[in-house]
Amino acid sequence: MIESVVIFSGLTLVLGLILGYAAIRFKVKGNPLVDQIDAILPQTQCGQCDFAGCRPYAEALAKGEAQINQCPPGGQEGADALAELLNVETLALNEEHGESNARHVVYVDEKLCIGCTLCIQACPVDAFVGASKVMTTVIEEECTGCDLCIPVCPVDCIYVREINPTLLTFVPTIPGEAHV
Amino acid sequence: MYSTGFNTNQIMRQVIYALALGISASYIFFGWGIVIQILLGVVSALVIEAAFMAIRGRPVLESISDGSAVLTAVLLAISIPSIAPWWIIVVGVAFAIIFGKQLYGGLGSNPFNPAMLGYAFLLISYPLQMTTWPVDFSAFSQAINIIFNALSFDGLSGATRLDEVKTGLSLGNNLATMQVHSTSQAWINAGFLVGGIYLLVRKVIFWHIPVAFLSGIIVMALLVLIFDSQTHLPVQNHLMLGGTMLGAFFIATDPVSASTTPKGRLIYGFLIGVLIVVIRNYGGYPDGVAFAVLLINMTVPLIDHFTQPKVFGRA
Amino acid sequence: MSSYSYPGGVVIANPYPVDQVKIIQSPLPDKVVLPLQQRIGEEAKPCIEVGDRVLTGQVIAQTEDQFCVPIHASISGIVTAIDKQAIPHKSGLKSTCISIESDGKDEWIKTKGCGSDFLHCDKQTIIDYIQHSGVVGLGGAGFPSHAKLNKAIDCHTLIINGTECEPGMMCDEALMQHHPREVIRGVEILLHITGAQQAIIAIEDDKQEAYQSLLMFNHNDRISFAQLPAKYTSGAEKLLIKALLDVEIPSGGFAADKGILCQNVSSVKAIFDAVIDHRPLVSRIVTITGDALTPTNVEVRLGTSFEQVISLTDVNNQAHDYRMGGMMMGVDIETTQMPICKITNCIFVNNKTLKQPAKECIRCNTCNTVCPIGLLPQQLYWHAKSENIEKCTDYHLSDCIECACCSYVCPSNIDLVSYFSFAKALDKKQTADQERIDIARDRFEFREYRLDRNKEERSQMMAEKKQALKEKMAKDKEQGLEQTDKIAQAMARVKKTKEDNV
Repeated sequence: MIESVVIFSGLTLVLGLILGYAAIRFKVKGNPLVDQIDAILPQTQCGQCDFAGCRPYAEALAKGEAQINQCPPGGQEGADALAELLNVETLALNEEHGESNARHVVYVDEKLCIGCTLCIQACPVDAFVGASKVMTTVIEEECTGCDLCIPVCPVDCIYVREINPTLLTFVPTIPGEAHV
Repeated sequence: MYSTGFNTNQIMRQVIYALALGISASYIFFGWGIVIQILLGVVSALVIEAAFMAIRGRPVLESISDGSAVLTAVLLAISIPSIAPWWIIVVGVAFAIIFGKQLYGGLGSNPFNPAMLGYAFLLISYPLQMTTWPVDFSAFSQAINIIFNALSFDGLSGATRLDEVKTGLSLGNNLATMQVHSTSQAWINAGFLVGGIYLLVRKVIFWHIPVAFLSGIIVMALLVLIFDSQTHLPVQNHLMLGGTMLGAFFIATDPVSASTTPKGRLIYGFLIGVLIVVIRNYGGYPDGVAFAVLLINMTVPLIDHFTQPKVFGRA
Repeated sequence: MSSYSYPGGVVIANPYPVDQVKIIQSPLPDKVVLPLQQRIGEEAKPCIEVGDRVLTGQVIAQTEDQFCVPIHASISGIVTAIDKQAIPHKSGLKSTCISIESDGKDEWIKTKGCGSDFLHCDKQTIIDYIQHSGVVGLGGAGFPSHAKLNKAIDCHTLIINGTECEPGMMCDEALMQHHPREVIRGVEILLHITGAQQAIIAIEDDKQEAYQSLLMFNHNDRISFAQLPAKYTSGAEKLLIKALLDVEIPSGGFAADKGILCQNVSSVKAIFDAVIDHRPLVSRIVTITGDALTPTNVEVRLGTSFEQVISLTDVNNQAHDYRMGGMMMGVDIETTQMPICKITNCIFVNNKTLKQPAKECIRCNTCNTVCPIGLLPQQLYWHAKSENIEKCTDYHLSDCIECACCSYVCPSNIDLVSYFSFAKALDKKQTADQERIDIARDRFEFREYRLDRNKEERSQMMAEKKQALKEKMAKDKEQGLEQTDKIAQAMARVKKTKEDNV
């Protein structure tokens, strides 16, 4: 009886020491979970999740201070991907944070633009080209569709343009299922 | 736009037809039992499958007419003793269809061979009924009585030849003093062999698995014989006793649970053959077909991963 | 020499055989619709406007880059519209097209070419003529021929693909039977351009008349013939090269890298037309087949509607299923109001039948035994179904040529190829999305950095300015009350000026 106690205590001690050493020696710098979450988020930087951008939301998720269903641009697919990463139950998208629409971009009606530069300052990815008292326009490839520029424009000259599938970007459906 | 080969329903039916010869041999030696078991099994299989498809909300008529449930029932009915009580086949078929097929997602999604899963479950749960085999022909009324009323007739039941050999060996008897050959089993195996060749000729199954299976048995049996020929069966008896031919052509070739790549199938068949001889010689049960198949089913994803064929244009 | 074989593929008998292979000349269409988006490359920009009169062979649209070929008017007449029309594509999406209404005269524009004296023409000039004539691969791929020729440096073998791509098609066979002189001359042009030592014309062994026809016109000892056993997917370029020369072009590589150039026999005739007759590509031969009519071939102007072409045959009055392309790789289309494009090689008109429903996959692996590339279609199917693109890539999804041999033999009637094209399109979309997201993240982080940097620069500048001011004020203090003195002097000057002016 004594022998088994001695053997198992010894084993526990040795294994515990190995684990402790490994925890210190192989500790990963930084917080890779935040990076992994950030890699899933769509980087729209729109703030609809009630955080100041995608990275703050990722940090809050990593700390467990936010729900996974607060990101409308990511859609239900994004929420499911986050659920899989964080090993939790998936949730339906929370409608309070906004609707999940198809990807769109914005464009400026250049006849109405007054060159106030408020939109340039609002855009989180610098997708505008323009300057004070000079006409402004949107670089369509860089626009993420966050819509932060629309409310700040004093003459309401920024409109939404849907992105429709073209012959080269068309994704066919597989039999029996619909896919966007 | 579709080829003139068999479609899935036709494949299942061809396999059932090919079993006819072996079933007839079993009838000739052991009577009506097997026919009754098959009928019981088929009816239960259809009822259970229909019920489950209805629960799952899938089209019922389409799925029970594809023949896969019937095939599972027939294979299981052939594998169990033909004088087993009626509830044995019903419970076995239920387990095979529910746990071996439907719970995994239906046809095409099961990792284990459903008939063998049902057999293993029955063998472990009801060892007495599953090891009481017929030794003589039972007439129709006799068979009904045994199966439904659990009457036992003297001289009609006993152990299989493999079972006797194993018991004899464990008691310390020499192989030379025992009767190893069994005419009835040899004929039944021959029947299944012919059926299997029919399937090969009609291209319903590929040659890889049966050939590898039988090679595995032959190689392992020879290997074991080299070490000790006194206490191990000769090769031809391995091939003609027990469920060898049924396993080679009808059970291991179940496409859903078998390996899918050509090289993988050779490895799969060979491993099953080897394992069967190992279980027969060193394991606790007289015949190891079911357990060997189930165990190697588990390794199929691994085999598939490492035996992918060469792709055109890649090294 | 190899045994003219490659693993996989299926032998499919011609479902609609004919005794004689004929070509019907289609009369001039009343109207043509010419799409601006060709199979490969950017959408071309029109260089004419609605209401202009154009001549046959006139360039009406071009792309900016030199990779693509221009689009020519296939009849003379007035441009009636430049708008979105239905085109034969599996998505069913509409695309911008130029519609021309014929004036019935078929007046050709003056064009330049080498004439029959092409041997004295400079090679690059010939390639330019080929590009300006709009020649693309007419076997179905639509790859610009001049781009292929430009890449064919150190070419030693020319392969002319006379194997019909799919069972049931006869357009290449008809061409070889009825225009052998043009084909052989076209091969000689290619030999001249590429400087290859030999040209092999590959024909299937069940097309003896075409073979005899070409043999009669061939007097060039650099041109030889190879008769392959008739098997589907012999028409695929890489597999044909493997069958003829036993050379395996690596995945993602090009035949040109190994010094081999492959051209379809219809493209070769188009090259002949461009170089010697200096005619741009405005028409092609299309096979019309199916169980609703007697199969035949029609030579028709590009842009003619399917409806008009089908009306030239003896089609019956029942309801029909239409398919553009072959029975294996074609696309089912709903309406015949579609234009013939450069890559339209066949139209199927079948009496309407019920589609067989698909059952579950039973993992029988018949698909793998027929796959000419050696893939595992059944694994690709499982992973494409669950949208696991990473696993699909592990199983070499990008090597799939979508030949549909696997769908053809599947006992469960599963349309495997639709899963693979879905997976490929999804992969493309996901890669594009990921790139876009990464760029957006970089731009956002750079903006944060930029704002911080501006703030820092600003505060630093203010700090420096303050410091400089402080130092200046201290210096002034040292030198006495010069500051107040200066002010007093200035005020005195002002007072004096005021008094003077009064």
